[in-house]
Amino acid sequence: MKNQKFLRSMNKLWSLSLVFFVLNSCKNEDRLFELLPAKKSGISFENTLTENDELNILDYLYFYNGGGVAMGDINNDGLPDLFFSANQETNKLYLNKGDLKFEDITQSAGVMGKSSWNTGAVMGDINGDGWLDIYVIAVVGINGFVGHNELFINNQDNTFTEMSGEYGLDFKSYGTTAVFLDFDLDGDLDIYLLNHAVHTQESFGRAQIREERNEKTGDRLLRNDDGYFTDISEIAGIYGGINGYGLGVSVADFNQDGYPDIYVGNDFHEDDYYYINNGNGTFTESLKQYFGHTSRFSMGNDVADINNDGLPDIISLDMAPEDEVVLKSSEGDDSYQTLKMRTEQFGYHYQYSRNMLYINNEDAPYTETAILSGVSATDWSWSALFGDYDQDGKQDLFVSNGIPKRPNDLDFIHFVSSDEIQKKMNDNKLVDQQALEMMPSGEINNYIFKGDGKAGFVDMTANWIPTERTVSGATAIGDLDGDGDLDIVINNINAPAGIYINQTDQNANYLKIKLDFKAKNPFGIGTKVYVYHNNTLQFKELFPTRGWQASSEPILHFGFGTVAQIDSMKIIWPDRTFQVMLNIKTNQSLTVSPKNTLPYSYERKPTRKLFRKTVDNLGITYVHKEDNHTDFNYQKLIPYEVSDRGPAVAVGDLNGDGKEDIFLGGARNQKASVYIQKDGGFELVDYPVISNDSVFEDVSAQINDFNEDGINDLFVASGGTIISPSRKILANRFYANTDAGFEANLYESYQNSSTLKTFKQNDSLRTDYFFVGNYTSVLDFGKLPNSIIRSSNIDNILEHLGMITDAIWDDFDNDGQTDLIVVGEWMSPKFFKNEAGTLTEVSVLNDAITGLWQTIIPFDIDHDGDTDYLLGNWGMNSKFKASPEAPMKMYYADFDDNGTTETIIAIEKEGKYYPLLGLNELSEQMVFLRKKFSNYKDFAGKTIEEVMGVDLLANATVFEVNTLSSGFLRNTDNTFTFDALPNELQTAPIKAFVTYDFNGDGKQSVLAGGNYFGVIPFHGRFDSFSGAMINSEESITLGNQLGLEMEHKSVRHLKIIHLENKPYLLVVYNNEAAQVYEMNPNN
Amino acid sequence: MIEKMKLLNKYPILFALLIPVLLLNSCAEKESILITSDDYHNSVDKITLIMVHDIFSPPVASRIYAYPNIAAYEIIVQKDSAYRSLTGQLEGLTAIPKADDQTTNFGLAALIAHMDVSKSLIFSEEKVESYRDSLYQIWSAKNKTEFETAKAYGLKVSDHIKNWYDGDLYKQTRTMPKFTIDTDDPSRWQPTPPAYMDGIEPHWNKIRSFVLDSAAQFKPLPPPPYSLEKDSDFYKELLEVYEISQKITEEGDSSEEVVIARFWDCNPYVSVTRGHLMFATKKITPGAHWIGIVKIACKKSNADFNKTVFAYTKTSIGIFDAFISCWDEKYRSNLIRPETLIHQNIDENWKPILQTPPFPEYSSGHSVVSGSAATILTHIFGDDFSFTDDTELAYGLPVRFFTSFNKAAQEAAISRMYGGIHYRFAIEIGLRQGIEVGELVVEKLAMNK
Repeated sequence: MKNQKFLRSMNKLWSLSLVFFVLNSCKNEDRLFELLPAKKSGISFENTLTENDELNILDYLYFYNGGGVAMGDINNDGLPDLFFSANQETNKLYLNKGDLKFEDITQSAGVMGKSSWNTGAVMGDINGDGWLDIYVIAVVGINGFVGHNELFINNQDNTFTEMSGEYGLDFKSYGTTAVFLDFDLDGDLDIYLLNHAVHTQESFGRAQIREERNEKTGDRLLRNDDGYFTDISEIAGIYGGINGYGLGVSVADFNQDGYPDIYVGNDFHEDDYYYINNGNGTFTESLKQYFGHTSRFSMGNDVADINNDGLPDIISLDMAPEDEVVLKSSEGDDSYQTLKMRTEQFGYHYQYSRNMLYINNEDAPYTETAILSGVSATDWSWSALFGDYDQDGKQDLFVSNGIPKRPNDLDFIHFVSSDEIQKKMNDNKLVDQQALEMMPSGEINNYIFKGDGKAGFVDMTANWIPTERTVSGATAIGDLDGDGDLDIVINNINAPAGIYINQTDQNANYLKIKLDFKAKNPFGIGTKVYVYHNNTLQFKELFPTRGWQASSEPILHFGFGTVAQIDSMKIIWPDRTFQVMLNIKTNQSLTVSPKNTLPYSYERKPTRKLFRKTVDNLGITYVHKEDNHTDFNYQKLIPYEVSDRGPAVAVGDLNGDGKEDIFLGGARNQKASVYIQKDGGFELVDYPVISNDSVFEDVSAQINDFNEDGINDLFVASGGTIISPSRKILANRFYANTDAGFEANLYESYQNSSTLKTFKQNDSLRTDYFFVGNYTSVLDFGKLPNSIIRSSNIDNILEHLGMITDAIWDDFDNDGQTDLIVVGEWMSPKFFKNEAGTLTEVSVLNDAITGLWQTIIPFDIDHDGDTDYLLGNWGMNSKFKASPEAPMKMYYADFDDNGTTETIIAIEKEGKYYPLLGLNELSEQMVFLRKKFSNYKDFAGKTIEEVMGVDLLANATVFEVNTLSSGFLRNTDNTFTFDALPNELQTAPIKAFVTYDFNGDGKQSVLAGGNYFGVIPFHGRFDSFSGAMINSEESITLGNQLGLEMEHKSVRHLKIIHLENKPYLLVVYNNEAAQVYEMNPNN
Repeated sequence: MIEKMKLLNKYPILFALLIPVLLLNSCAEKESILITSDDYHNSVDKITLIMVHDIFSPPVASRIYAYPNIAAYEIIVQKDSAYRSLTGQLEGLTAIPKADDQTTNFGLAALIAHMDVSKSLIFSEEKVESYRDSLYQIWSAKNKTEFETAKAYGLKVSDHIKNWYDGDLYKQTRTMPKFTIDTDDPSRWQPTPPAYMDGIEPHWNKIRSFVLDSAAQFKPLPPPPYSLEKDSDFYKELLEVYEISQKITEEGDSSEEVVIARFWDCNPYVSVTRGHLMFATKKITPGAHWIGIVKIACKKSNADFNKTVFAYTKTSIGIFDAFISCWDEKYRSNLIRPETLIHQNIDENWKPILQTPPFPEYSSGHSVVSGSAATILTHIFGDDFSFTDDTELAYGLPVRFFTSFNKAAQEAAISRMYGGIHYRFAIEIGLRQGIEVGELVVEKLAMNK
């Protein structure tokens, strides 16, 4: 295969140029893309930046954002031509002469441009004459920049006339780029103009500033009114504030209602905007509803259906570096408290500095999977372009990146800059060019990822693309050489444009579709194409203005691997008509125009969902409200919070009327709630003995007749890490239910408890076993607490059992005696066999599976008749990294010998272990590291052994985690093997399970819930797991398909409750209102 | 390397001065190593520069000044009967080891101890080492025996002082809880723009003080009750900060108030953000500025080596305890900064002339420290002591002239209101609080015989 390809490319190259072949013959014959040198192509364009003391990154914050590139056939000869805009130099237009030869016709075409500073360049047929026009965006009004956005109208003879004034498009603002879309479906192309602010404010300011329109920085929605563009931003609901750092924009019909919607990426603390098209000329910005969090320094973004489900997904780029040295020497995320302030006080959304990949769930919020998908860190990234580069039917991803100087280098910020400033005290300028030169270079290789069609990506950079270190920005894709595959064109700073020629050639099949739509929109912008073959669907929507200040060839390109013919293709035109074509041969360029079209209805049949939120929540008004306690303020290096496991919930009859009542515990300083079942609902009843104990943090509760007096009592476990004013507030509480009401007794176990599990033998009223699991030692994370098994009023201490999170009483060896299984963090599940009342730990796991286990439930997932166990873990969408070969490690010791312990997490990268956190975080707790590393350069790239010293590590206790996947223990003759659940269930920690026959088919299923927010901003926010119903390994349905709304909330408990014999699902969240769902509502 | 060259350049001058001594001793012994006040000033200056580079917060910086000075001082009192040891006078300080050899060059030993204790307290040790090693080479070449004897003794005392400071809870306070932001109480301090840094050193009042019997010994009156009612005292004070700032900003950079505010900025880390570009302008701390004034006073009064060490020591003790006293109040009252309130209630685009430092407002640290330092310096050098303050020249600021230390302290205090970072009451009460600390140091420490 390799040889064949080699021979093919050899033949091809041979015929082209002997010299070229000789020069290149010894390298890269397997590369998917080959660099086309300027000498050969004739494309000499280079975006040369000239910096000086008057104009540099200090004067203009987006000095390094680069120019634009647009690919399109301007002379309708079938060959896509190339237009480049340079920041300070003139534009260039290259005519594609075929055979990868290009001719510079800039001068004769009259497109040199007159603005001082150009940014985006996009092609679109603005006057609907079938000939592509060019719109070049400018920055005007700062630093002496003059000019305006220029619109070059195609004269259909390889010349253009600048007519921006005539069209009302000669804006003099701080422009980034523009997108063509027909937002009102009136048939002509409108424009979304993306502008950016130029001064970062020193203070966050209110988020509402975005509502006050600024002429220079505000984005604009421009409606095409018969050839003149009217700014309708204000009435259309488009924000245009002074804080809009608009850097990326994508258009797609995200909610599949026929009207194009808009995603705008904003740099810095301003939120991204998600504009849902209302279909009446207005938009509703809906970011917070659909996105749990976003990228922070949002740069370019792109849209494609990456999991072949017919829905457009989104990537938004940021600047998280992958390289360990760059990572540790660059400014990172906010502190925990700063982010809290910015979100809660100033009203901004959760933003984290890394790429975000948002999987579209139609009406439900997006699932953010960038880390799980392998695309979260591509360094200083500008352009993302999805495309099927290897034509296997699955979308791949190209990312351009790089910056001439890294302005967020920690040594520069803290040491270098100030020394330079010191030296230049007599200069007028604080920082001059010479100082800026001292920032490290950010020239890096671009990235390319191969998609697996399931939202997973593999980094193919080293194999697929040239790995030259460049500063690459605007990117366009299209088929330059007419061989059917996608070539890539990149506008580089201070280097020739990068032309990557795709070598897929005949190795895989393709289909190129050129649309020939109606007048005014002849290129068919906004057309959707669904292609079906081999039971798979590929979906694309034509919006060629994409790729960071750029536009790509206005065609739709599909890859099909070896498929010679596709079954069918559905085309939905922007005018809401559609047609279907059958049996289409691949490997052709097909021009499709509307033919025999029928009206298309976007109306969706209301689907029957298994769950429906009750209107009145059955009277349960409970809202859990965490106190303002932050564990990270007490133990700065702990990996996650440990006092947020609440609330507690218990269901049982508390008033002896035979009906279920509900206990819902409070957070610290919040009263617990007791809901008593009345006719038609639950009613909050105050039991002062219970509600007076609001000082406790309730994390687990059980209702049971503990004292065997015939009436149920209540036992509540307390958690938290606050020990003042006394350790008493960690005591667990036993509320004996007596004729005179409840009587409180403290059960003294001064630990941060996590779970209470009782077990009644033989259905007698007597509680035979009673397990109290403890989670952490207070203010000493890493010291393993004791847990307790109580039977017959005798406590059996399980010394240093581990950081316990959950336990179940279940007969795992099928001997008729109920055993105990305990799970926790930094440990493997522990099995205790019950032999006539004596519990002995036994080894039944085939392999140790150390995890951050959160919860366990028995369930015969493989339906083979024995009991398997489902296990909730941390998930794989995390910066934690663990495998059996390279487990995650946590070192625990008093490293600085000051009487307080520390924990340090280390993860493996390429065979070495590195501390997860940076020098700032580590030295805040261990000042001696500041002495050891007096600058960041010395620290960056150092292994954990080099950072801490081998001796210190040798004296530390080491904990390990070898799997972060949630999964299940498969039972084979009472021994157990771990299998991971699929990726859809690895997006967040799974915190709760419940078993029930939800759909009434007589079979039990498991419902899983999760999400978790108790981590520092470095980790982000695990918010997009919508829950899942698990029937078997193969049959898993996500909560967003079931009518559940568990996204953006952190589930703690799932309970089945009964009201008048009808079952309901009670979902209890941390720091949120509890929800009650009806099941199977249509039955 | 640069340091070395400087010293070599100086060398001929010293050499010329020492020729008579040299001649007298040339046959039997090598020349003696003469240590001058300037050598001590240079060492202090060197440590100041390293502190600026390493970025220490003002309270931590005060600790880095105090202990090395005390080490040096305890050595010179071994020989100079004009001064009394601080043993027994400073909490936990036991007598330093006696020199084995009474012919030890105590000045040299004091200087070596100063450098060595300093080195243990700053981060960039290599910067002290290169400075120290160049001196060591010169000294060793001049008189190896004398140098080695002094060095051995200096380092021995240094170890003694290190053992002592190790017990001041500094290490433990590193891992104590961070300040928890609580935005529910509108009067409570919140992080401020642009860096929104967490409150620094919330446990500094737990650091062992030198002279204060407790951090709360000079607990100031509480600030006026928080109120945004237009006629409340608190609101009037808030408005005053805003109005003065507006007025002097309008008058421009040459306005006397703006000049005063900038002169006394003394912010060790002013972060500047321009888009993705971030950098810092770093200056000396308030304590360091007063250490600079000690040098000016010593030079102007031609203080000899021992008096120089004495002046630095006593002043740095006063500055150190002033920070403890002030920080005790800061995290007691947890008062919100004017910047936060002005943004919320008066003008959301307002920016103070100085960058608001990252800790609660009340009382004003610069006022407390200036009050304490000026009181001690007045005691040492007299009230009628005019001087030209060029401490901030290296940071691009002009010189200012003062007729007394107290006048300088008053200006330092009011500069914080001009700078838009303090209310008037925090300044006036803060200055008083500092004077009380200074008076206690003067009164309690018997250093002169």
